Amino acid sequence: MDFTEQVRKRASQLIEEGTVACVIGWSAGRLKYQRTPTCADTPEQASNLVCDQHCEHALGKYVLEQKDKGRVGLVARGCESRAINRLIADRQINREDVYLIGIPCTGCTTRDGVELKRCHECQFRNPVIYDELLGEPAPEPKNDRFADVRKLEAMSREERRAFFDLMYETCIRCHACRQACPCCTCKVCFAEQEREGWQGKQFDVEQARYYGVTRSFHVADRCIECGECERVCPMGLPLMTLMHKQIKDIDELFGPYEGGGLSDEGPDALRTFKTDDIEEFM
Amino acid sequence: MNQITENTTPAVADASPASNGAAKEWQPKILAFCCNWCTYAGADLAGLNRMEYPADIRLLRVPCSGRVNPQYVLKAYQNGVDGVLVCGCHPGDCHYATGNYYAKRRMLVYKRLLEYLGLEPDRFIVRWISGSEAGKFRDTVIEATERIRELGPLSNDLPHLAPEDIPHPISAKFEWLATPKNAREGL
Repeated sequence: MDFTEQVRKRASQLIEEGTVACVIGWSAGRLKYQRTPTCADTPEQASNLVCDQHCEHALGKYVLEQKDKGRVGLVARGCESRAINRLIADRQINREDVYLIGIPCTGCTTRDGVELKRCHECQFRNPVIYDELLGEPAPEPKNDRFADVRKLEAMSREERRAFFDLMYETCIRCHACRQACPCCTCKVCFAEQEREGWQGKQFDVEQARYYGVTRSFHVADRCIECGECERVCPMGLPLMTLMHKQIKDIDELFGPYEGGGLSDEGPDALRTFKTDDIEEFM
Repeated sequence: MNQITENTTPAVADASPASNGAAKEWQPKILAFCCNWCTYAGADLAGLNRMEYPADIRLLRVPCSGRVNPQYVLKAYQNGVDGVLVCGCHPGDCHYATGNYYAKRRMLVYKRLLEYLGLEPDRFIVRWISGSEAGKFRDTVIEATERIRELGPLSNDLPHLAPEDIPHPISAKFEWLATPKNAREGL
């Protein structure tokens, strides 16, 4: 995957034409395999954009920072386009606020050329919405993304408890997962509602679990499975095991469900109901 | 989902086996969220009919089962409750027409999530009990209390595994996040 030339050309054109005020993409980082999210305001800046397999940051949420400039151009792969759908559905932006330059993604790799776990598990590599698509749609292997969840489900209760206790012992509650998540749009997060006191201030496994479980349940039915939470986690915690578990349950309980962000309308699974939903609480 | 934390009242701390040894028998503490329009009336009816049920249960009246924020459940476990019961009207009978349908979906997913995280399934019970089902209310409470007496305090949920048996969630960042599936063994 290397769209650097096409992205540079289209971004400069769009900025010159005045279609967009800026284009959000990636530029080269300090190291050969590093990329940095960049907002290009001028054609000169646009000529620094890079788009290849090292661009591991999902850009969706940066639109919120730049939307005051006017119409925002965005280099959109599958994950970015779903994030945009999510933001539209959550009334954060309007569809006409963004111009999506679609990229058929073939997955990001590490510096050693190994495919990232989240890209391996990605279900929608081509953007689900776009204004233009550079190149031909990429093949979508639709690999199994629930393998880890099944493995955990097969363990005994005690093992699972030990696994997650260890995970939440490691959590430092930096809230990076929340900051990076395109679904987290509350003005005041429950973790910072000091007067309500949801979140205790102790630095222990219980409070970390309270934060982690509540955060994941808040975005359960809206998660777009971009894996940003896992990528930004400084402790490298497997946060997607929680999200995938809930997506799997929603799929099994409430009918076919492929993940959030596939359209920009319609209520999400936990914000609607059917009168003939599965019944197990009689 | 924890052992007793600092938030617990002294009374509860006294009742815990950790602080008092075997001298005083441990009593379970069960919190029941009861819908004002059905279960609470059902509990009232049980009282009127002089039905007997264990005193380990604490009723908390809520306007609707849809009012029960899943955060309440987790918070209850953290504050020293050994079991949580969420009771509402039967689907279709909600006083606010749809509240319990939302609650149902929410609790279905949340219960599975908590069990996945290692909570004993019987510590979190959801039941639909109408205002006339005093007997069902009593039976549910008896059943829940007996089961939680068997399970013991919430701290019994803690894992007792040797460190080498614990599946390790964290490998070095790049190993976990960036290794392909076939290279990852275990978790």
